[in-house]
Amino acid sequence: MEKSGSVDSLGSKRTSSRQPSVDSLSSSSTSRSDRSAQVKPSSAMSSDSVSTSTEFSPELRVKPKPKALRDSVKEEPQLLPNEKVQDMAHDVTYVCPFTGAVRGSVTVTNYRLFFKCMDREPAFLLDLPLGVVSRVERIAAGSSRDVSYGLVCKDMRNLRFAHKQIEDTLRKSIFEVLMKFAFPVSNGLQIYAFEYTQVFPENGWKVYDPITEYKRQGIPNESWRITKVNDHYELCETYPSTLAVPVNIPDEELKRVAAFRAKGRIPVLSWIHPESQATVTRCSQPMVGVNGKRSKEDEKYLQAIMDANAQSHKLFIFDARPSVNAAANKMKGGGYESEDAYQNAELVFLDIHNIHVMRESLRKLKDVVYPNIEDSHWFSNLESTHWLEHIKLILAGALRIADKVESGKTSVVVHCSDGWDRTAQLTSLAMLMLDGYYRTIRGFEVLLEKEWLSFGHRFQLRIGHGDKNHTDADRSPVFIQFIDCVWQLTRQFPAAFEFNEYFLVTILDHLYSCLFGTFLCNSEQQRLKEEIPKRTVSLWSYINSQLEDFTNPLYVNYSNHVLFPVVSLRHLELWVGYYIRWNPRMRPQEPVHQRYKELLAKRAELRKRVDDLQREVTNRSASSSSEQPGSPTRSITPVQTFV
Amino acid sequence: MQGISSEELLMFFKGERMLSQSSMNARSRDVYGLRCLPGECVLQRAVMVRKKLTAREGRGWLSGTLFCTHFRVAFVPQDGPKPDDNADPMLLADHDVALASIEKVVVVGPNRTKLVTPNSSLKFTPEELVLYCRDMRVICFLFDRLTPDAQVIEMTYTIAKTYQPLKPGSVLSFQNAALGSVEMKQFLSNRRRDTHMNWFESSSDWEQELERCGASGWRVSTVNDRFEMSTSLPRFLVVPQKVLDTELKKSFAHFNEGRIPRWCWRHPRGSDLLRMASFQNNIYHEKDDIRNLEMILFGCQSSLCVVVELGEELPSPADIQLAHSRLRALCLGDISTSVSVPDDKWLSTLESTHWIDYTRSCLRKASEVACLLRGGHLTVALQEVEDRDMSCMVSSLVQVMCDPYFRTQHGFQSLVQKEWVIAGHRFYSRINCHRDNDKEEAPVFLLFLDCVWQLWSQYPSRFQMTDDFLLALHDSIHLPLFSTFLANCQRERCKRSQNHGQCYTPVNGWIDMLHPDSSSDASDPPLPPVWDWALQYSKQRQDRFTQPVPPTPPLQPLLNGNLNTNPDAIRLTDTIPGSVFLLSRGTFSCPSNLLPWRSSSSGIYKKTHRRAPSSENVPGLDRLLKLWALTEFPQSLPSSCGPQGPLDPYEPLLPLLMGPCMGLWRECYLRGALHAQAFSHPISANHPHPVERLAQEVQQLKDKLSQMSTSTDPNLSTKKSEPRRIDTNLNQNTNNGTFLFPAPRTQGMGVPRAAPPPTSRGPPPATAPPSRPRHKDSGGSSKHTFLFGHSSVADSRSEQRYYPTPSNSKLPKGTSSLTS
Repeated sequence: MEKSGSVDSLGSKRTSSRQPSVDSLSSSSTSRSDRSAQVKPSSAMSSDSVSTSTEFSPELRVKPKPKALRDSVKEEPQLLPNEKVQDMAHDVTYVCPFTGAVRGSVTVTNYRLFFKCMDREPAFLLDLPLGVVSRVERIAAGSSRDVSYGLVCKDMRNLRFAHKQIEDTLRKSIFEVLMKFAFPVSNGLQIYAFEYTQVFPENGWKVYDPITEYKRQGIPNESWRITKVNDHYELCETYPSTLAVPVNIPDEELKRVAAFRAKGRIPVLSWIHPESQATVTRCSQPMVGVNGKRSKEDEKYLQAIMDANAQSHKLFIFDARPSVNAAANKMKGGGYESEDAYQNAELVFLDIHNIHVMRESLRKLKDVVYPNIEDSHWFSNLESTHWLEHIKLILAGALRIADKVESGKTSVVVHCSDGWDRTAQLTSLAMLMLDGYYRTIRGFEVLLEKEWLSFGHRFQLRIGHGDKNHTDADRSPVFIQFIDCVWQLTRQFPAAFEFNEYFLVTILDHLYSCLFGTFLCNSEQQRLKEEIPKRTVSLWSYINSQLEDFTNPLYVNYSNHVLFPVVSLRHLELWVGYYIRWNPRMRPQEPVHQRYKELLAKRAELRKRVDDLQREVTNRSASSSSEQPGSPTRSITPVQTFV
Repeated sequence: MQGISSEELLMFFKGERMLSQSSMNARSRDVYGLRCLPGECVLQRAVMVRKKLTAREGRGWLSGTLFCTHFRVAFVPQDGPKPDDNADPMLLADHDVALASIEKVVVVGPNRTKLVTPNSSLKFTPEELVLYCRDMRVICFLFDRLTPDAQVIEMTYTIAKTYQPLKPGSVLSFQNAALGSVEMKQFLSNRRRDTHMNWFESSSDWEQELERCGASGWRVSTVNDRFEMSTSLPRFLVVPQKVLDTELKKSFAHFNEGRIPRWCWRHPRGSDLLRMASFQNNIYHEKDDIRNLEMILFGCQSSLCVVVELGEELPSPADIQLAHSRLRALCLGDISTSVSVPDDKWLSTLESTHWIDYTRSCLRKASEVACLLRGGHLTVALQEVEDRDMSCMVSSLVQVMCDPYFRTQHGFQSLVQKEWVIAGHRFYSRINCHRDNDKEEAPVFLLFLDCVWQLWSQYPSRFQMTDDFLLALHDSIHLPLFSTFLANCQRERCKRSQNHGQCYTPVNGWIDMLHPDSSSDASDPPLPPVWDWALQYSKQRQDRFTQPVPPTPPLQPLLNGNLNTNPDAIRLTDTIPGSVFLLSRGTFSCPSNLLPWRSSSSGIYKKTHRRAPSSENVPGLDRLLKLWALTEFPQSLPSSCGPQGPLDPYEPLLPLLMGPCMGLWRECYLRGALHAQAFSHPISANHPHPVERLAQEVQQLKDKLSQMSTSTDPNLSTKKSEPRRIDTNLNQNTNNGTFLFPAPRTQGMGVPRAAPPPTSRGPPPATAPPSRPRHKDSGGSSKHTFLFGHSSVADSRSEQRYYPTPSNSKLPKGTSSLTS
């Protein structure tokens, strides 16, 4: 795991019963157990710590002191189940952009690249899942006899290695080997997730059950029903099999609505307000085209969505795109709802740009933060990437949706072009603001499973798992952007989320790592076909098996509160702990998170003391007749246990 | 006065305090609820007003009554706690603004926004009243439809007419409005100063600091006792023991304003920090003068002295003033037109203010000095032309970085006292609150607070004080009431206070002279120091000045000056003793003309003194500085191997200065309403944090137990001892660093006041009211304090902090006792 490493003292000091296996990563010296996919909780991680709270860069990886373990360090990296060493090379130079060249050995397995340098004190280790690699390029080294290779990574860093020209022409460079295993899909190999057989106490594939989730929301009810019309993905192959639709629209009509919506992605329920019954529904663009085609069924369908909410006689349609783009889509048969055709509906454009703009923006951001940062022009450089501006627009859109639903008690329909990128961002963020359940760890997992995975955000295409075609125009950091938005929310509401920053970073790391099956494939249908749940391990299995590492100690269950973030750029920040974590100058500084944990222990202790006192008072009041009514024992509100 | 009868006004002039006594009719108390200062007149009142709460206060709105007195704009929340009539007068309650802090008054009408000046007339009824303050707060009041129009308009006019745009003379009338009454004067003169901080006003104060730092070889000199040697220097100077006063006296002439090198602080590894003004060149230097100067500079270090030239790499006061005014304009927007910088240009505009660049350069310079001091036995002398701006900045930043004591509230107050107030930072001119010298205005101290905030935000757990404290200090600068900020040097402060019949004795500190009323001249009220926080902040808010849990590792109360166990200390033994180097722009040099006279008499000098410094020693020093650069790559420096490693309390807190690491102090600069969210905050005020609830419960249980133990005492003597034990347990816990509930001691003080113990009416009134504002404050965005409430460590110290007020210090209850 690329970010398992950390400063030695972190691990060595806190070694607890379950810690060693985790530490093994950073140390690579203790026995690497099955858990080695796991990453160590970073002490710098905290919802509260300052901008310098960082993940650990590989450069920071430091080996614990014990000399006895020295020899074992010389051995290979501790391998995961079914992880096989493919090649090994000595005398390879890692050209670190921060500390200069480091000489060591490289091991390539079917899962990772492992570089270590024992000459340094402390030892220098680099542990990189191959899934992170986006591109490997051989760099012409001019006159010298060295061959050098550049690894462009998906997680905001580039690595450069060099080794001597190999005399033996038959022997391939280790980086040629790496290229094969870094892009298994392109080379007819299997993604490592299918070989990873680790068993966790909990099965993460069971986290999300659509029926249970709809039931939690109170569906079915008098206005909404669950339909199995898409059971075999015939209505829409990118939608899940279970859908919630208005009661009075029969399945036959759904098919006619599907014909009018791009890719058959009809408006379906994402979330319903428990009190006002206002709903968030999602779909794709209507196939209006240049001729302004209409669909009676679609109009009736949207009317049914509006009618399902007795509180309001209006429906808001949020089109995530800039209006120009929406209009341009008419040329391709798409478009947007005209307010003439859809009475009582108001159309709002949210001005969020498409996947290509976002990809370009993140590329610029990488240029600005890696490897070197220009201090004196930092802010204007950051501004020129427009990354935060995009984040702001997405958050602002989600905020408008949440506000309409909560304050306006009005139902909303959200779509973009296909309804799987910007729409997923908007509905899931709005749901995060509206419903405290999604702010718990399990709730967030459900949210991702539901709004992103089951509704067909095309992870395979957007990330390009195991695919060497790095210039693929379908790649885009849509999901990263969403996680960034969530992080912004956690910054503004540090006590409202059960998970911490480390949880979010872990999700992003395994988005690329291909260790778990969670983010493979493009849709529920594909996942079923590939038997992903049977053949791979879910990321949630791993996360839910060590929840305390991902728990925000500050969490308070404000379940009934709606979060309305401030979306001004003045109050947004760059997520330094993710984007700039490879820079060793961003050292982790504050063990704030650790202190919170200590305080929680204190709190538990106090709580116990309260219980003791309470018991004592009860005993006494039983024994003493002078006790008055309304004693404090009764006035005590039950103390909730959150953490 | 429209909207308020003359009769009512008369009552106001008499002071509502009087009305709110138990014998008075209940009506006036319930309707107004404002607790006036003695002599304070309520000029206008508006009911059904809502105040917009900031993110820190939990956002949303608070309804209540708005007042304008001739000293402040006060807002009394509808269901706020009843004022305690016996409490000491407080200048400002939680929601109040002093008139002198108001910079602009803007009203928002149906479709318009208007800047209100004393002469403007309103053509519409305002719906919203926005007060832009000098401390960058923006306070917004919303009038209800039920608020009588006349009250709204009159309130606006009254504030506009009385808020007194600062000009020469207006400050004095403001001071008089606040502190000028006989009762206030008496009250203030009976205040005792906080003995937990070092005021650096007496020679014993300095001796105490020398002892704390373990700085032997230095002594307190009284040569400047009557400010005869230097008018801007303090009366007591710390100089090497071996330098006699007669020798010292000859040195003053060689320095700008006579500001000779003085000792400030000793690093635990034995280096000394000095500061001085630049040399006077146009004077004849005798041989003895050179020797004296050398002796002062080397102090008790025999080896090495580094003169750090401040100025070149640091912003000038004019730069700071320009940057700050740009920052203000950016953060507050163009007030009159409500136009602000568009969001997409925010970052680059922020960059172009250069404010953050300036904090970076100050922190960088301080980091360099801190690394030099860490290196071992040498003297670092900060040299600035006047020695009154950047040397205050750098010397105090260095001490915050290196000395855990200065990261506590009391330590920090002592530091500001030592390096700014007593050392002669020209607060009066730099703040320019009298608006009589715009050329000199420069918020150097505010830049310093920003630098400290940057350090705090990078190492929050290494500070005992919080950003709330920094914010309180920031805001106090703009309140022209404190002697701390209303003078340029100790001499001016002394002159002023002598007029008030106070005299100073070095042994006992300030002693009040018995003075007849005639001496308290109404035109010149006595000014309190800013450190008397109780005048401005309620107990609850003061509790938030410090962390609920002390930093780990525990603060080292005593530094041992001779600590030299640093294993990786750079050995400077190879350096030739008696060398003076100049550090400028990150490089060392030993220019021949560093000491102005050295070149003229160098021949003699070289003979008498060991050897001339040679540049071959420079690398040793360079290494010290490199050490700092290397700490940016933690693995290169084993001693700072991470936050969880064994923390060396003497390792300086070196800030990260990269672009992304330097932040904007949003809680201070972006308190404005222009960008605030229109929606109400979800985490509402009436949801106390579970820990606070827990704290209350524990408190209630304890009360109950103690109550029961007394009631059951006769028959159950064994049971009696049990609650005691628990009680002490809880106390221990408090000392161990858990402060989840107020220490019982405070409670004990509260109970007698609250008269009979609660019967069936629920929790004792003594506990209930103070807890309320805490809930209100527990907004989502407040940081550490959020979880643990604000009944912090301060509670356990309350007894120490308590001013032992003699009985006559309380305000007289009625007019009858006013004459006493």
